[in-house]
Amino acid sequence: MNFPFWRRRQKEDDLKNEIESHLQMAASEREERGELNPEAQHAARREFGNVDLVRKVTRHQWGGLWLEHLLQDIRFGARMLRRNPVFTLVAMMTLALGIGANTAVFSIVNAVLLRPLPFQHADRIYQVGRTGNRIGGFSISLPIFLAWQDKRKVFEHLALIRWSGPETLTGAGDPLQVRSLSVSTEFFPALGVQPALGRTFVPEEGKPGGARALMLGEGFWRSYFGGDPNLLGRTLTMDGEQFAVVGVLPRGFELPIPGARDVQVWFPIQLPTESHNPSNEALCVGLLRADITPSQAEAALTPPITELSRQFPTMIGANEQARLVGLRNFVSRRAGRAPLLLVGAVAFLLLIVCANVANLLLARAGVRKREMAIRAAIGAGRGRIIRQLLTESVLLALLGGSTGVLVCYLSFDFILSLVPAGLLRVGTVRIDIPVLAATFLLSLLAGAVFGLVPALHTSRQDLNLSLNEASRQSSSASHGWLRSSLVVSEVALALVLLMGAALLIESFARLLRVQPGFDSSRLLTFQLALPMKQYGSPDQRALLFKQATLGFSALPGTEQVGLANVLPLRGGPDLLFNIVAGTGSISPDTALDAEYRIISPGYFSVLHIPVLRGRTFNETDDHASQAVAIINRTMAESFWPGLDPIGRRIWIGKPMGPAWTEPAPREIVGVVEDIRESSLAEPPEATMYIPFGQAPHSGAAFFMVRTAGDPTAVVPSLRSAMKNVDAALPLSSVTTMDEVVTASLGDWRFRTTLLAIFGGVALFIATIGVYGVVSYSVSQRTQEMGIRAALGAKPVALLRLVLLDGAKLALTGVLTGILAALGLTRLMTGLLFGTKPTDLWTFAVIAILLVMVAVAACYFPARRASRVDPVVAMRYE
Amino acid sequence: MKVRYQNRIELLQGTLDLLILQTLQWGPQHGYGISQAIRANSGEVLRVDTGSLYPALHRLERQKWIEAEWEVSENRQRVRVYHLTGKGKKQLLTERSRWEQLQDAIAGILSPAKGESKA
Repeated sequence: MNFPFWRRRQKEDDLKNEIESHLQMAASEREERGELNPEAQHAARREFGNVDLVRKVTRHQWGGLWLEHLLQDIRFGARMLRRNPVFTLVAMMTLALGIGANTAVFSIVNAVLLRPLPFQHADRIYQVGRTGNRIGGFSISLPIFLAWQDKRKVFEHLALIRWSGPETLTGAGDPLQVRSLSVSTEFFPALGVQPALGRTFVPEEGKPGGARALMLGEGFWRSYFGGDPNLLGRTLTMDGEQFAVVGVLPRGFELPIPGARDVQVWFPIQLPTESHNPSNEALCVGLLRADITPSQAEAALTPPITELSRQFPTMIGANEQARLVGLRNFVSRRAGRAPLLLVGAVAFLLLIVCANVANLLLARAGVRKREMAIRAAIGAGRGRIIRQLLTESVLLALLGGSTGVLVCYLSFDFILSLVPAGLLRVGTVRIDIPVLAATFLLSLLAGAVFGLVPALHTSRQDLNLSLNEASRQSSSASHGWLRSSLVVSEVALALVLLMGAALLIESFARLLRVQPGFDSSRLLTFQLALPMKQYGSPDQRALLFKQATLGFSALPGTEQVGLANVLPLRGGPDLLFNIVAGTGSISPDTALDAEYRIISPGYFSVLHIPVLRGRTFNETDDHASQAVAIINRTMAESFWPGLDPIGRRIWIGKPMGPAWTEPAPREIVGVVEDIRESSLAEPPEATMYIPFGQAPHSGAAFFMVRTAGDPTAVVPSLRSAMKNVDAALPLSSVTTMDEVVTASLGDWRFRTTLLAIFGGVALFIATIGVYGVVSYSVSQRTQEMGIRAALGAKPVALLRLVLLDGAKLALTGVLTGILAALGLTRLMTGLLFGTKPTDLWTFAVIAILLVMVAVAACYFPARRASRVDPVVAMRYE
Repeated sequence: MKVRYQNRIELLQGTLDLLILQTLQWGPQHGYGISQAIRANSGEVLRVDTGSLYPALHRLERQKWIEAEWEVSENRQRVRVYHLTGKGKKQLLTERSRWEQLQDAIAGILSPAKGESKA
């Protein structure tokens, strides 16, 4: 294009004036030669020729014609869409559903997987861990991090992150439990994060005995301290210790690792020079130097681990190696396959929508045949007609797309409420420019996809035939097969989507039927975090728990009270142990693994967990008495099959080295029924229970209170009862056990709901598709029906004829769909629970459902066909 | 009508460009003036159809061989006046030499004897 289109009008005027002046000059010369005025004018004009034609051929020299044509096409397309409001509305709404669903899913996928992390040099930030970690995770221990310090020159910055658990803030209003994270001082430089206020940590604060400092998250600073800038330099009391506020982090700063969401307070880790703590409780992130590759770094970091494994063979395996994973990949790896499933599902949905709209366009093509023939007759080339039709469909797609975005925007809170909170980076899900751009491109693409086939088809028609054709009859044959195959593919795609949804629903229903092993009704839970300063010893903690339990139990409306270090269904720590003296094939040296729970005497009774053998804990199980443990059924059956475990002894922590080894073996005093510790989807794991009075560590505890009525009603009285015990301890994470169960199914519910919605929409659209095609073919066959009726066919026979047509379409689609589904649902294996991806019943039910709905959709056109009046039908064109 | 057409000679493809460039060499001129000049200088033999003239002018303008400006004529009329650009002058030379080659070639065909004797 030689000039911008807004100058075209200018150019147009210029040409008009130029020709006008030509005519004027010619006329005035004639007048000078003596001709009279009107005749001179006319003669000049005659001599000039066809003014419009000259203008037109001149315009052709300008270039940029395609734009003019495009504007013309758009104007014309808009007029066509306006003139057929019903068609436009139906197509637009269908497209809005398809494109809106894609926008919603893309906004989630974009935030979780695609959008670059908001850090400087995000591509060089790596999670630094090791392979062969016993629990399979990526975490490392302090000794490893310290050993890496010598090799750290491959990094610009290498930092440690440690979950520091809930901390209690006092001295600023009511005591408050806050979420905190500890990071070594190089953490913020590694991420390139600049504070919103104040500064980040200085190296001095990361040394033992250095100044005690903390930083606040922006949200917490704003909500709890009213965004007070004078807070800088003031001291806050956390767990009874004083810390100076040195800075506030920028708004929206989030570290994309599990358990680091909505961190309110950041502490510096004061790194010791030496450590023998074997616990893998830290994560390491590093900013790799630009000239070092990850594998070079891995090669440099592996020798220190090997060295350590010789020193602490129980702590680190001999063959462990350092491993770098880009922070970006770390996030997407944790998101798993679910995003892929959703993307696939919405893509299918959009394909169904496209097939449907293409069918609508084909139906209209019949009506527009004359228009196309006339266009071709007055000289429009095939390319030009195709372009015109494509412009219309793209216009339609863009209309549908913008409606879809609008719907998506309006229902965004609902969509967000479905997204499981555990998903990393979920806080950044939003409809932003990249999402809108993707939607725009998708709309263009959809418009081209559903527009192309009808456009090619319509433009190929024989000119003569169309113009002379009086009857609409013959057109049905020419694209009947096309419309049918579009509907068949719609039904097939819908079947695949519905299969996916049905398998997930089946899994979800099975999950809901899973007995968690405890009674969650009328059960309130909350967390109590004990500052290590006042509650450093197990006795102090046991005393507090005992007092609190007594206080809570005495309240009206409460029935039982129990507590544990973690809640059921939330997972928790596991520890290695030996069986003292061994049993069966298990030698006393065999390292065994079991979940590890610290509980109060009331735990089993408050959760209604049956005791199978032996006894539960009581108040006398403390440090002075014999160390005891209770195990669950799975543990008893896996390690003492056919034997009575009561009285046997286990030594917890022994295989993990001296730092973990308990002072003495524990005697098993009871066996209880299994409960689901990690999730409803996972079978019960071997679990050992330890009484609080004998637990060496763990400052946090979750209370469970069984109430007589509504559990939330007792919260105020629980709070005041807690004030009588220790006014500085807040109740936090107050929720009901029912909600804990519900929340544990969050991501299952998310994908099941979305896929069910998509499947329902797909069924609906495919049904409309079948209805459209059958009802069109009935209107085409009115004459035939009339003849049949005249020859004596009964209405029922005609009804059956049409219904069979619909059923044939649906069956073909269903069979195609089953073949596709057999291949595709296999990919869902990891996302299902207790359901085979090729579950026969699910396939059968969905197939029958689809055929039945499709046949039902044909009922109305079929009834119309059966009531055809032979006399009317014969005259019908 | 028929008589008039006999006096006219259809322009060869591409020669109109040459004629326009050549006409503009004498000085800036508007479209009407160019058509009148071609007609007068060819002794009324060549008449340029407006349907060819204006597309040609706009094509040459797009090639940047000529440029146009709005001016006011002696009759106090706003007219669009074209003038040659530097690029256009070079183009004129090229077109002229091509035309001369063509002329020689045609002349050679039309009077073969003269051509042979020369050789």
